[in-house]
Amino acid sequence: MYKYSDTDKKIIASRVKQFENQVNRRLEGKLTEEEFKPLRLMNGLYLQLHAYMLRVAIPYGELSSKQLRKIAFIADKYDRGYGHFTTRQNIQFNWPKLLDIPEILHELSLVDMHAIQTSGNCIRNISSDHLAGLTLNEIEDPRPWCEIIRKWSTFHPEFSFLPRKFKIAVIGCTKDRAAMMVHDIGLRIIKRKNQVGFEIFVGGGQGRTPIIGKKIRDFLPKKDILNYLEAILTTYNQEGRRDNIYKARIKILVKELGIEKFRSLVEENFSKLSNKELEIDDKSIKEIFGFFRLPPLKPNTNQMPFKKNQEYQYWINQNVIPHKIQGYSIVQISLKAPKKPPGDATSNQMRALAEISDKFSFSEIRVTHEQNLVLPHVSNKELFNLWNQLKIQNLATPNLGLITDTICCPGMDYCALATARSIPISQKISSHFNNYLKQEEIGNLKIKISGCINACGHHHVGNIGILGLDRKGQEFYQITLGGSAKEDAAIGEIVGPSFSKNDLIDAIEKILNTYKKHKINKSDDFLSVFRRIGIKEFKKDLYDNFTKKA
Amino acid sequence: MVKKLQGETFLLSANELRSGKVVFFTSKGWSSSTDEAIKIKFDEINKYEEISIREEKKCIIVSPKFVELDDSGNIKNLRDKIRNSGITIKI
Ligand code: HEM
Ligand code: SF4
Repeated sequence: MYKYSDTDKKIIASRVKQFENQVNRRLEGKLTEEEFKPLRLMNGLYLQLHAYMLRVAIPYGELSSKQLRKIAFIADKYDRGYGHFTTRQNIQFNWPKLLDIPEILHELSLVDMHAIQTSGNCIRNISSDHLAGLTLNEIEDPRPWCEIIRKWSTFHPEFSFLPRKFKIAVIGCTKDRAAMMVHDIGLRIIKRKNQVGFEIFVGGGQGRTPIIGKKIRDFLPKKDILNYLEAILTTYNQEGRRDNIYKARIKILVKELGIEKFRSLVEENFSKLSNKELEIDDKSIKEIFGFFRLPPLKPNTNQMPFKKNQEYQYWINQNVIPHKIQGYSIVQISLKAPKKPPGDATSNQMRALAEISDKFSFSEIRVTHEQNLVLPHVSNKELFNLWNQLKIQNLATPNLGLITDTICCPGMDYCALATARSIPISQKISSHFNNYLKQEEIGNLKIKISGCINACGHHHVGNIGILGLDRKGQEFYQITLGGSAKEDAAIGEIVGPSFSKNDLIDAIEKILNTYKKHKINKSDDFLSVFRRIGIKEFKKDLYDNFTKKA
Repeated sequence: MVKKLQGETFLLSANELRSGKVVFFTSKGWSSSTDEAIKIKFDEINKYEEISIREEKKCIIVSPKFVELDDSGNIKNLRDKIRNSGITIKI
């Protein structure tokens, strides 16, 4: 795991001091809200529906047990005993007081954490694959690259006031577990003729104009990555629109210019730049990679213990995957227990998990963009023990990748921008399908729910996407089908008129019936069926039945 | 703050600057309950807008807004209802 240098520590500490000053000046009336707002946003502080909200970065999803304990401590001392893990590897506190923020940031700085790059029109927290460094088919660990990009982007003077926020994701293999294709820039590490480099995508995004990223570079040597990113960002900074917030993201610029024209502008900037200072030499790369070495795992032939306990076996089937080192497993912890808000964890759960990770996973925890957690290095022989301890904490729900493993934004329960609630919908789904065998029979299925068109809950890329709408003061839900956030990324298609909260589960059941009718075998999952038969069949079954019922 | 207002009766609401807590304007100052909140008629809006600006300047509140009431005197919109009574889910 990356360790802060003395310089990093100093920068963070001075940033805390600076913000403390700004907060004091605000409280004394020396700064108006208008003046203070951009400053607080640079420190991850929003004002939401009920209270302030603080978003803390978990760079590329890596947490130590010490950091998780600190988060639990903050949740208890300054908040209401829980936090919300988001879809971009951040954690949000929903109830902090402005008065306490400097102290919270100070506490975070003691464990090398902060809220910089979690808000505002800058390059946001770099996100990555939660299985980085753990799988055999990886070309290279993407985390060191995230760290290299983080160092370059944090406080970059030119890129602190971009036309709009800017999100980058980096992955290290062909499997995309970071929704890389719906980021402003997506980087995939690839190998060509024995040389490792980057395949680069640009202009992806969600929000009100969802777009899948376009490939801008087939291959870029590693040493040039910062120069190339600088060229893209410079082009965006120069050409991106600042007159209309809805047209300010890079995706709109790429769309308006066309990828060829955008590429030629970037390449021109790139050739002009070739800033030697930004070229990364092998020694620096090696140094950063040193932080991300695996813990001392000894390959062995231990198998996952078999127990005559059905719940445990379900959990092994669904949540546990093999580690690249034989004898170890990767344990995925679902934060989607029945009736619980997706992505929320209580301080007790966090403390227990910190303890569990010390015991079973070298004090390391990962955060996924699907709002779950991971214990990356668990010895096979400890799995039953571990499961027992997770179960006590309601952290052993066996539903990874299944219908109740929903992504869900805070919606109208917390968010001032929402047009409808989203958490109660995910709770309805988790109650209705709360049966492992029923879920397993349905198979891989991603439901993603947003409480408004901003799409923080990734509904556009859900196999089934649910978008909350306001229809004359009533909550309604629009369904999209066929989206994907993976390597086969796609934006879902709207199936038809929206549904009331009470009709929604019925609608989902009907959609599932159409799927089951056309499913050929067990491995034929929802997305494959959708891609084969198209939306028409779903539409027909869904709305004919609804009309008949009415 | 006043531009988009429709309806006839409103409450003046805001967040307390220091805590962020949702508050409503009463004859005795700000309160976290709507019980004693002043019901404001449309033609009194400007007067209360001035009050809110004054209170903001005194660093008591932030983000003032008018909350619309329905014919029975209850908060009209779901978002404002949730803002007043809290999240609708269990943690
Ligand atoms: C304070 C509450 C929040 C506010 C005000 C907010 C605001 C927004 C807005 C305005 C957008 C649209 C950006 C655009 O189209 O240019 C957006 C996108 C997004 N937000 Fe949030 N959001 C909030 C909370 C969250 C949470 C809790 C999550 C994760 C669960 C999240 C994750 C995302 C993601 C992944 C996107 C889409 C990616 C993109 O930027 O294209 N946000 N958010
Ligand atoms: S999608 Fe809308 S409702 Fe949900 S968190 Fe984002 S802005 Fe709020």
